[in-house]
Amino acid sequence: MESKPRLLKILDIVTVLLFISAVGMVFLYAPLEAVMGQVQRVFYFHVANAWVGMLGFLVAAIAGVAFLRKGDRKWDIVGLAAIEISFVFFFTAIVSGSIWARGSWGTWWTWDPRLTTAAIVELVYAAYFMLRQGIEDPDRRARFGAVYAILSFISVPLTFISIRIFRTIHPVIIGSGSAGAEGSFDMSPKMLQTFMFSLLTFSIIFVDLLWHRIRLGRLADKVENLKLKVLQ
Amino acid sequence: MLTSILQQAPAETTRYMVAGYLVIFSVMSLYILSLFIRRRNLERELQILDEMEQNQK
Amino acid sequence: MQPISQIENHVRDKEPALGVGQFMRSLTAIIWKDMAAELRSRELISAMLVFALLVILIFNFSLELDAQARATVTSGVLWVTFAFAGTLGLNRSMAMEKDRGCLDGLLLAPVDRTAIYFGKAIGNLIFMLIVEAIVLPVYSVLYSVNLLLPGLLLIILLGSIGYVAVGTLLSSMAVQTRTRDILLPILLFPLVIPVLIAAVKGSTGFLQGIALADILPWINLLIVYDVIFIAVAFMVFDYIVEE
Repeated sequence: MESKPRLLKILDIVTVLLFISAVGMVFLYAPLEAVMGQVQRVFYFHVANAWVGMLGFLVAAIAGVAFLRKGDRKWDIVGLAAIEISFVFFFTAIVSGSIWARGSWGTWWTWDPRLTTAAIVELVYAAYFMLRQGIEDPDRRARFGAVYAILSFISVPLTFISIRIFRTIHPVIIGSGSAGAEGSFDMSPKMLQTFMFSLLTFSIIFVDLLWHRIRLGRLADKVENLKLKVLQ
Repeated sequence: MLTSILQQAPAETTRYMVAGYLVIFSVMSLYILSLFIRRRNLERELQILDEMEQNQK
Repeated sequence: MQPISQIENHVRDKEPALGVGQFMRSLTAIIWKDMAAELRSRELISAMLVFALLVILIFNFSLELDAQARATVTSGVLWVTFAFAGTLGLNRSMAMEKDRGCLDGLLLAPVDRTAIYFGKAIGNLIFMLIVEAIVLPVYSVLYSVNLLLPGLLLIILLGSIGYVAVGTLLSSMAVQTRTRDILLPILLFPLVIPVLIAAVKGSTGFLQGIALADILPWINLLIVYDVIFIAVAFMVFDYIVEE
């Protein structure tokens, strides 16, 4: 298999450095939040994870359109890679969000639009994987994957909006009526900088992981084709 | 005076922060690890298949 | 297969030129084929109907509702029922096509692919509406609540359209996989959540006599969803059935 391209090696190093810096900022630079205490620090990486999740979804939808129009297998590999990464990062976002909620408001789950939508997206991804699993023919698998990625990408904003409208009537946290439960707090400049830097770091992490995962996908394809050839 | 200081202290939520970051770090590490393992397995398969192809020729 | 050649003849008899005319003829031919088949066997509607009534019955026992609680929960119960019965219909409708080789036959015929989609979708919609038309009066009688309100019927229509638009698309994919029947609900439900939310809230609004202005956002959401997904289906269906 092709050896790691030089650019990727550099990207790996940059990613690690950024990550260490971001961790440093979160724990050492960002101030302690006045009400929630230490648990608020989870917020920085929690949102960054969710951001990566959304990025992944977008990339997968675009890759889906590209695959349908061009028919080039590489778009299928990109789509699968993006969704896999997005799946992992949304999972982290959901769990960390749950822990944040528990630490801040004493409840493990809030039915707020973002968390709920993230959970729905995870189910969409699970459906995506199950769809692909049930298809033998690689071309059909790629086509259907692309179609489902596109359809679900379109439906998710509508889902978010509908839950939003739904929630303007109902409390975000069952049993709690406080407006603070919406998850807002004022961000001081240092917090904002940490926040933005976390977003940046995780965007780079996304690109780095995506590249690695795509290479893995190409290797898997190569092995598949060779298997068919040799094991006739 | 003591009560006003107590009212201003932030909640003691360090353990949740630890739990949160534990989850984030471990899931990310596990995923990266899985990428490594899958790559290694695939490269092994590739090697075997290459040999088989050579033998068939 | 006999009905396919009938469709072909029906279509070819007219001008050979492609266009709206031929599209409409293909469309009506496909819808009519499904209706005729169903009229003969009645297996689809009876399955959906019995299932729906059973679900409503189960709800009666699983949710111990007094008259007041029931008012808030009726929409939810109805829409869960429709969603599950709808899945049955979608599955069977596509499976019948595939199993009898009709799908391949349709694809070989000089019929616009999109006409196939719309034909199936409208057919599915009609089946779903028929089931709903029967369930509503039954529910009304069983639970002494008047469900025959025009606003409610509008919501049910819009919601069913959205559900069937996406459902037909997904069932044409699901039917080509190994896991078929189980896969459709898994694929469909996450995508159809906006419809369910809007339909339930809209239905509740009309049932409780809430001001129209407050219900309007839900109706708008349903219309937007329907329009978007019918348009997307137009663009995407070819890729699902290409060989």
